[in-house]
Amino acid sequence: MNYIKRFFSAFVAAAFLFTGSIHTVQAAMISSEQVAASAVTSSGEQDRERIIAALSREDVQAAMVARGIDPAQAKERVAALTDEEASTVAAQIDNAPAGGNAFIGAIVLIFLVLLLTDILGFTKIFPFTRSVR
Amino acid sequence: MYLRGFILALAFVLASCAAPGVREVTQNTQLPRHNELTKTPFFPQELYQCGPAALATALNTIDIRVTPEQLTPEVYIPSREGSLQIEMLAAARRHGALAIQIPPRLDALLQEISAGNVVVVMQNLGLSWAPTWHYAVAVGYDLDRELIWLRSGTFERLEMTLSTFERTWARSQHWAFVALPPGKLPASSGSDTVIKGLLAFEKTAPAIHTRTAYAAAVERWPDDLVLLMGLGNSSYATGDLDGAAKAFQQAIVAHPDSAAAHNNLAHVLLEQGNAKSAMQAAEKAMNLAGQDERLKSQIAETIDEIRHKAKKSNSP
Repeated sequence: MNYIKRFFSAFVAAAFLFTGSIHTVQAAMISSEQVAASAVTSSGEQDRERIIAALSREDVQAAMVARGIDPAQAKERVAALTDEEASTVAAQIDNAPAGGNAFIGAIVLIFLVLLLTDILGFTKIFPFTRSVR
Repeated sequence: MYLRGFILALAFVLASCAAPGVREVTQNTQLPRHNELTKTPFFPQELYQCGPAALATALNTIDIRVTPEQLTPEVYIPSREGSLQIEMLAAARRHGALAIQIPPRLDALLQEISAGNVVVVMQNLGLSWAPTWHYAVAVGYDLDRELIWLRSGTFERLEMTLSTFERTWARSQHWAFVALPPGKLPASSGSDTVIKGLLAFEKTAPAIHTRTAYAAAVERWPDDLVLLMGLGNSSYATGDLDGAAKAFQQAIVAHPDSAAAHNNLAHVLLEQGNAKSAMQAAEKAMNLAGQDERLKSQIAETIDEIRHKAKKSNSP
């Protein structure tokens, strides 16, 4: 059972690693996403790789674990981002202060702010019983 | 002078705080006066976890069986005690739903409910400077009594006045989305947001579902290039060459100068064994590609492939 599990996770990991090459195989068929973004030079794949690279740093991973985020799951979340979303995150990583703890802090913060946009995303408790009318 | 302008502007902003939009909506004659989706399931939330609970409610409504506990690791960030909007959308997609944001207006939200779609909303139940963010699912409304009902937190049928709801919802910039099975479309969204939702959906969905979703969108917007390309590509991915060819041809009729449509049609024609027409389509694509280097190299690849295949079939 354990072997099967291990094999499966290795397989999934490999699948992630090789998504790049799968894309080149199909490169000649033009995706609807590319058509939608035709005017832009963008490359969501590259942005995603940059985010993954930042998340793969050991110190960043340690910081994520310390905050209760599973690094493997973090990467899966990145894979589900659209090109547009990925480029926003990548830009934030680029603008993060370089070096040392500040960098890690910024990366983790960006991820926590899920990677994205604004503070608006957080939810909080539900003590709301304001009476109607 | 400036100060006076500022005060005037401030007064205007304050005046508009009286839940704008509610009166317009109650006078809206397009909407049914009353509707409630009473069959919507309910998952009471655990501490802080309104995100997973709201998402589970929306997904189970369209028969995607998933519990809040299963969703928690996907959308919940422990140290922030909450879920982020983008993760709510991504998780819905990952479980096979087409997640699409609706226009940030009360009438759009009510239009969805009257069309039978429950709406996941984000509210700030606190104040703008002391936010208490919350996800809930809007399931019903009554325009005459100016009420809205939500699956919210631990309340299976929370009743709110439209005014109160509008104010708490406005603080999230009226953020809301519907989670739909492939083949259904939101009643209120424009083609832009639907396309955005579809592009995200196709990243994780099986091709057959992607095709169903695109086909529904093409029915509503038959001339949209991105939708037609999506329909063609997903048909191709399911092995439906005829369907793919039809979609790309339709795209070419509506957008004769689309290099991408010609290129993809060339691929389908090649696989249908029609190398000659494939080459014509590919050459047309190259002529239309203009200065786009990436596109040009992709089309060059197509042409190579056609030549390669033609050579192979010529030599015994």
